Amino acid sequence: MDWLFFGEVSLAGLATGGLYALIALGFVIIYKATRVINFAVGEMMMISAYLFLTFAGLLDWPWYVSLPLAVIGGSLLGGVIERVAIRPMLGENPISVVMVTIGIASVLIGLAEMLWTADPQLLPDFLPGEPLFIGEMYVAPKSAWAFIIAACVIAIYLLYFRFSRGGVALRATASDQAAAYSMGIAVPKVFSAAWIAGAFAAAISGILVAASGGLSPQMGVVGLSILVIVILGGLDSILGALIGGLFVGWFETIAGTYLGGEYRQLATFSLLALILIARPYGLFGTREIERL
Amino acid sequence: MRIGDAKTSYIADEQILDTPVRRAWFTALLVLIAAFPLIGNDYTIYLACLVAINVISATGLNILTGFTGQISLGQAAFMGLGGYTVAVLASRWGVPFIFTLPLAGLASAAFGVLVGLPSLRVKGLYLAIATLAASVILHFVFAHWDPVTGGIGGISIPPASLFGYVLDRDRDMYWLIMALAVLACMGARNLFRTRVGRAFIAIRDRDISAEVLGIDLLRWKLYAFALSSFYAGVAGGLFAYFFRVVTPESFPLTMSIFFLAAIIVGGMGTIMGGILGAIFMTLVPEALRFITSAVTPFYPQAPVVLSPMREVVFGLLIVLFLIFEPHGLAEMWRRLRRFFHLWPFRT
Amino acid sequence: MSTVQGAASRRDVLKYGGAAAALGLALKTGFGPRIALAADEIVIGGSLPMTGVFAFAGIAGHQGLNDYVEWLNENGGIDGRKVRYVMEDTGYKVDVSVAAFKKITAAHKPQFYFGDSTGFEKAIASELNQLGSTVMSGASFASELADPQRYPYHFIAGPSYAEQVGILLEYIKAEASGGAAPKVALVYSDTEFGRDPIASAKARIKTLGLELVDEIVTKPGSVDVSAEVLKLRRSRPDYVIFHGYVLSPINEFIVQMKQMGLKTKFMGTYYTMDKLLIDQVGEPSDGFMGVMPYNYYDSDANGPNLDAMRAYTRKVAPDVTYRPVPYVASWFTGMLFTEIARRTLAAGGDMSAKAMKAALESIEGWDTGGIMGLPVSLKGHSVPVGRIYQVKFSEKRYVPASDWIALT
Repeated sequence: MDWLFFGEVSLAGLATGGLYALIALGFVIIYKATRVINFAVGEMMMISAYLFLTFAGLLDWPWYVSLPLAVIGGSLLGGVIERVAIRPMLGENPISVVMVTIGIASVLIGLAEMLWTADPQLLPDFLPGEPLFIGEMYVAPKSAWAFIIAACVIAIYLLYFRFSRGGVALRATASDQAAAYSMGIAVPKVFSAAWIAGAFAAAISGILVAASGGLSPQMGVVGLSILVIVILGGLDSILGALIGGLFVGWFETIAGTYLGGEYRQLATFSLLALILIARPYGLFGTREIERL
Repeated sequence: MRIGDAKTSYIADEQILDTPVRRAWFTALLVLIAAFPLIGNDYTIYLACLVAINVISATGLNILTGFTGQISLGQAAFMGLGGYTVAVLASRWGVPFIFTLPLAGLASAAFGVLVGLPSLRVKGLYLAIATLAASVILHFVFAHWDPVTGGIGGISIPPASLFGYVLDRDRDMYWLIMALAVLACMGARNLFRTRVGRAFIAIRDRDISAEVLGIDLLRWKLYAFALSSFYAGVAGGLFAYFFRVVTPESFPLTMSIFFLAAIIVGGMGTIMGGILGAIFMTLVPEALRFITSAVTPFYPQAPVVLSPMREVVFGLLIVLFLIFEPHGLAEMWRRLRRFFHLWPFRT
Repeated sequence: MSTVQGAASRRDVLKYGGAAAALGLALKTGFGPRIALAADEIVIGGSLPMTGVFAFAGIAGHQGLNDYVEWLNENGGIDGRKVRYVMEDTGYKVDVSVAAFKKITAAHKPQFYFGDSTGFEKAIASELNQLGSTVMSGASFASELADPQRYPYHFIAGPSYAEQVGILLEYIKAEASGGAAPKVALVYSDTEFGRDPIASAKARIKTLGLELVDEIVTKPGSVDVSAEVLKLRRSRPDYVIFHGYVLSPINEFIVQMKQMGLKTKFMGTYYTMDKLLIDQVGEPSDGFMGVMPYNYYDSDANGPNLDAMRAYTRKVAPDVTYRPVPYVASWFTGMLFTEIARRTLAAGGDMSAKAMKAALESIEGWDTGGIMGLPVSLKGHSVPVGRIYQVKFSEKRYVPASDWIALT
C-alpha cells in the first residue's frame, strides 16, 4: 500500500470533512434550538453562493466586499425563512415541518433558475492558488483554505456559544424551552437567531463548496451528505456534527478513491444504516425519554 | 339538504357508502372512469394512467405515513423494486403479467419489511433517513448489478398481455391500471375499518400508548411497511409496463418527495387525501405547462421565463398547504360536501 | 302524465348528452389550443428542457429549432409546405416529456419530433414504433439510440457518444506516431450519460494499442475532486478524456493538475465543448481539446447553410455574437428533418415513418452546407463524423486541431 498516497487522499478527505463539519454545525444549531430538521440546507448554501457570484462575478466587486455581503445575504435568508415559513408551524408535528423545508428547497431552486438561469457556473477565484505541501504530501490549495476558513468559523461558533449571552440563551432554549421562557429569555428571538446562525454557516460553506465544485441550481444535493453526518453524529450534538463531518468527508473520499466514485454515497449510507441499527440516536445524540 | 341518518345497525353505520346518493355518485364515477377512453385522446388517457399509478403509490405511502405515522423517503425505491421485478421476470423469462405484478408487490413488501425492521428502535426523522439510506443502497443495486438489472441502461419490457390480448397501447393499459387503482383505494379504505387499520392509527397517535393497549408494535409496524411497499411495488410494476423501460434514473429521490408532497397536499391519513393529492400534484405541472404554451404565441420567451415557476409552485404548494390547510385537499373536499349537504343553511 | 315524464327525460337526455359532448370535446382537444391542421403542413414537435439540469442545452436547442423553422418558412418552407414547430417544456423529467409528446402528438400530429433525453427517447420508443407516423431525433447522443433495428424511427444528428470518444481515440493514436503507446485516462460521471461510451472506449483503446492507465468515476454535480486528481497524479496519463459532464468538475481537474506541473492533455465530448467552458474556466482552459461534429458559430468556416444561420441571427437578434453548440445542432437537426421530408415527398408523398426511415437511410454523401466538414450519410442512423478542436484562449474560441475525422 502506498502510504503517501493514502495520506494525501486522507488529507483531501479531511479538507472536505472540515466543510461538512461547518455545514453540519449550522444544521445542528437550528435543530437544537427549534427542533426543525432543515432539508433546505443545501439550497440555502446554493443561494449564498449565487449571491457571491453576483457580487464578485457580475458586479466585479472585490472578494473582501462580496464575501461578507453574500454571507450576510445568506444569513438574512435564513431569518426570513424562519419568520415566514417555520414560525407558523410551531408545535406542528415534525413531519410537517420537515416537509415545509423541503418545499422551501424547491422554491429556492426555482428562484435560482429564474434569477441566475440554470447554466452551470464557476465562482471567480478568490482563494490563493499556490500548491501546499505538508511534508511530502500535496494538498489542493482550495481545499486547504476552505478547511482553514471552516475551522476558524467553527472555533468562533464554539466560543460564542460557550461564553456569550446569546449563546447561553440558545443553549437554555435547547435544553428546556418552557424553563427558558420563564427565565425571561425571548424564545422566538432565539429561534430567529438560531436560523440566522445556521444560515450563516451554510452561507460560508456554500461559497467554499461552490468555489471548488462549481455552481448550479442543483448544487443543493450536497445536503444529502449533511443529513448523513448529522444523523450519524446525533441530531442534537455539536460534537457529533464536528466529528461526523470530518469522518464522513474522509470516509467518502477513501471509499471513492479505492472503490470508485460510484461507491461514495453507497459507503456513507451503508455505514449510516449500520449505525442506526446499533445506536438509534446517532453516535452522540441524546436519547429521548418518552413519557405517556 | 340531507336530514339526519336513520341507521338501525352498527353495520349500516360502518358502511362506506352509507346513503343512496353516495352510492349513486360512486356508480357514476365508476362509469365515468370506465367510459373515459371513449372520449379522451392519447394525451388525456396518458395523464389518467399516470395519475392512477400515482394514486396507487400515494395511497400506499399514506398507509405508512398518514395512517401509521412512519415517515418514509423510500417510496420511489420501493416502486423501483417493483418495476425491476417486473422487468426482470417479464423480459428474461417471459413470465406473464398476472404473475409479475403480484410478485412485484411481494418483492417490494419483503424489502419493505426489511427496511421497517429498525422502526421499533429508530423513530421519526431518524427513521426517515434510514429509509433514505435503504433507497440509496437499492438505487446503487439497480445501477450497478449489471447482470440482472442491465446496469445504468436499464431493461426494456415486453408489453403486458391478458388472455392473449396484448396491452401495448396506453388505451389498453388504461382499464387495467384504473381497475387496480380502484381496487387499491377500496382495499385501503376497508382496511381502516378493520382491526389492522385501527392498530395502525393507534400507533400513529401514540405508539407507547398503543403498546400498553396490547398492540404488538413491531408486528404492526412491519405490516404497515409491508402493505405500503406492496402498493408501491404494484405501482412500480404498472409503471414499468406503462413506460416499457426501467432505468435507475426512472425512480429518483425526487419521486419519493413527490409522493410525500402529494399526501400532504391531499391530506394525510385519509384515503381521499392520497387520491386527491396524487391527482392534483400530477396535474398541476401540466396545468402550468398549459399556461406557458397558451402565453407563448404572445410572448415567445415565455418558456424560458415561466418554466422555473413550476419548481416554485411545487414548493409553495407544499408550504402553503402545510401552513394554511394542514388537512389538505381532503378537508376542502369535505367542507364542500358539507356545504351542499347543509344548504341552504350555513355551515 | 307520460308525456310530461317523456319531456322531462328528453330534456335530461339533451342536458346530459350536451354536457357529455362538451366534456368529450374538451378532453379530445387535450385542453390545448385548437389549431386547424392544414393538410399539407409539416409539424415538428419538441420536448425541450427549459428548466432543470439540462436547461442550458434546452433553451439553446429550442432557439435553434425555432429560428430554423422561421427561416425555413421565410424561404418557402419544404417544397412550398409550411413548417410549424410546437414545443413543450419538460424540466428534463421523463414522465413530463412523455406527457408533452402525447399532448403534441394528439393535437398536432407531428411528422418529426425532437426529444430531450436518453430516458425519454427510450421510453417513447415503443410508442413511436407503433405510431408509425413520426421520426425522432433529439438532444441525446446515446449510442444505444443509433440502432436501426431497435429504434427504427430514431436518428442522431451527429456522432453518438461512443463514436465521439472513438474519434478522440483515433486522434490520439494518429498523434502518437511511433514511440511508447500514449497513456489515456477516462474520467466520467456515474450516470447513464457518463457511462454510455465507456465499454466501447475501452475496447477501442485495446484495438488501437493505447494504454488505459486510469478510470475515474465521479458523482455528477458539485463534488470535490482533489482525491481523484491525486490518483491521476500517480498514473500520469498523457490524455484525460472527460465524458458525462458539462462543466464542473473538469475545471478543477485542469487547474489542479496544472498546479502539479503535469503536462497532460485534456479532452471533452460534445456537451463540454461549448463557449461556457472558455468563459467560465478562463485562462486555464487554454489548450483544452475535444470532439465537435459541427463547425462552431464563430468559426472561420463558411457554407450556404452556416452563413444562412448567421445571417438569420444577425437579422432577428443583431446583438447576439455567438450561438451555443446546441443551437447549431438543433438547426442541423431541423435541416435533416427537412431533407427527410423532401426526399419522402419526392418519393411519392406518403409521410409515414416507414417511408421517412427509407428517406433517412437514403441520405448519402449529402452536403450539409458548411455545418459539417464532410458529406454525411445516415445509414446507421448517426453521423460518425467529427473534428478535434482546441481552446485558443487569446481568441476566446475553439480552433481546429485536426482535420475532419470520419469513423469507419
